[in-house]
Amino acid sequence: MNNKIVKTLSAIAVMVAAVSGCSNAPAGLEITDGWVRVSEFSDHKGGMTGAFATITNNTDKDVTLVGGSSEIAGMTEIHEVLMLDGEMKMQAKEGGIVIPAGESVTLEPGGLHVMLMGLKTALLGGEEVTINLDFEGAKDMTVTWPAKTSLAGDEEYKPAE
Amino acid sequence: MSKLSRRGFLVGASASTGALVGASAGAMVGASLATDAASSAAQTAVLAKSEPYVGVHQNGIELELQTFTNFVALEIKNSTDKNAMLRWMSLIAGDIARLTQGDPVIADAQPQLALGPARLTVTVGFGPNLFSKLGLEGKRPASLKELPAFKVDGLKAEFSGGDVLLHVSADDPIVLSHAVRRLIADSTEFASVRWSQQGFSNAQGVTPNGVSQRNLMGQVDGTDNPALGSEDFANTVWIEDGPDWIRGGTLMVFRRIAMHLNTWDKLGRQAKEEVIGRKLDNGAPLGGHSERDVPDFNAVGPSGLKVIPEFAHIRRASPQAPGQRFFRRPFNYEVGVAADGTPDVGLLWTAYQRDIEKQYLPVQRRLDQFDLLSQWTTPVGSAVFAIPAGVAEGEIIGAKLFS
Ligand code: HEM
Ligand SMILES: [Cu+2]
Repeated sequence: MNNKIVKTLSAIAVMVAAVSGCSNAPAGLEITDGWVRVSEFSDHKGGMTGAFATITNNTDKDVTLVGGSSEIAGMTEIHEVLMLDGEMKMQAKEGGIVIPAGESVTLEPGGLHVMLMGLKTALLGGEEVTINLDFEGAKDMTVTWPAKTSLAGDEEYKPAE
Repeated sequence: MSKLSRRGFLVGASASTGALVGASAGAMVGASLATDAASSAAQTAVLAKSEPYVGVHQNGIELELQTFTNFVALEIKNSTDKNAMLRWMSLIAGDIARLTQGDPVIADAQPQLALGPARLTVTVGFGPNLFSKLGLEGKRPASLKELPAFKVDGLKAEFSGGDVLLHVSADDPIVLSHAVRRLIADSTEFASVRWSQQGFSNAQGVTPNGVSQRNLMGQVDGTDNPALGSEDFANTVWIEDGPDWIRGGTLMVFRRIAMHLNTWDKLGRQAKEEVIGRKLDNGAPLGGHSERDVPDFNAVGPSGLKVIPEFAHIRRASPQAPGQRFFRRPFNYEVGVAADGTPDVGLLWTAYQRDIEKQYLPVQRRLDQFDLLSQWTTPVGSAVFAIPAGVAEGEIIGAKLFS
């Protein structure tokens, strides 16, 4: 319980860092406005959810987000959303998400995201979630993002065949 | 993000303007463009003004009225415990930090509507029931209790009560609407909305700062009020002792008071002035000349009657003992018109004070006994909230209460 309060308090620090536009990223990668979605898919053990942020590549080389891991999830993947058979579905993004040199890519509901699957407990709004992001072309990064409700992002999961 | 791209767009626009000036190479054109830029900045000056979200006190109280307001009261879910309150308030604190600066919140479904700050403020309050629901009775300020029933009351449940208040105000109605929507979206996991009540004051550019606005009865309202930024204000409003979470905070009384304008308009000017005890043209006390003149409650007219009548609102409402004062910050509301032409209008009336029992209640009890104004007004909504202290950067509102 105390532990949870401490977690909540440090979540705020992260949010405020994002507000003031501070970078918590080494090596020219800047990650802002990160968050993890709370929805009916994430309100139970074994559920799943997406994590989102804006990643800016201030280096002169392309960087690729290739994967990740989190203590709260059994499996973490990099996903895209596609129109398949007339429906919006998500699937693993082959080759990861490329952030070209000098550009920004926004991960958002209905689009690119970090998928957290096999949640170990229900995700609650206002909690903070720590995720390790694995990059190619830049150092891996650990981020801590708040969980919050969003209506957008209900795409069906199409596991890779 | 959208903020960045909006800036990008503006930069792009002015860059191409620069090229245009260069091409036509006319000083005249340059001068008129500069004037355009200045007048465009003047035209959006209302949007650009922002209020701080960190400080000893919460914002939204000690400042000139914003033009638009929305009081939103919520009731917590059974599953919401102290921990959940901390999580909820951390989300709200993050939202306030961004919205007051004109930025979209995290996971904003409509970032396009975060047009700018427009003096947006969000004031968070906690109702008496919240303390009992969360087992926090020991931390409840003694005078934070539901108000007693008054003879004049015609209260409706849909305008009254509530566990948590989000009072949001701004000088632009779109900015306000967006902020309220985002704050509620981040609240529904923890609470349901009990009521929301919208109000307004004069538009920006209509009333100079420091000049009292008029209410919909036509009266100058807010004359005898502690001045913003004064020691008097601090001593009347901001709490200095008691539990740490409320030091720097205040207690708020909220009353929705309907005005019966159809009957009020039957009165002549003189009768209307006697009901309040002040002149309609400039708000001067009867017997005085200007708004700021001190009312002479002892003056007697040629007829032998008091110049400010015994039944006058300001006589009944003025302090009869030291400390019977509070800060009033009333907004108007107007919801519609009945078939017979009766408008549904009145005040979203608020009083801020250190102690409701000592400051507000003696005055309200006196008005309840006798106040001629109450023939044309009816309180239809009522609620009280403790407004916790302001926050430092990164601090959660009410953290000391719920931890
Ligand atoms: C629709 C309801 C009301 C209207 C239209 C109204 C209107 C006014 C007006 C025009 C004044 C004179 C100008 C000023 O000093 O602000 C005034 C003064 C005042 N009113 Fe009201 N009022 C209403 C309700 C109340 C209530 C419910 C209370 C308190 C319980 C209250 C307390 C006061 C006080 C304390 C003053 C200052 C008296 C003084 O000069 O010392 N009013 N009001
Ligand atoms: Cu996915």
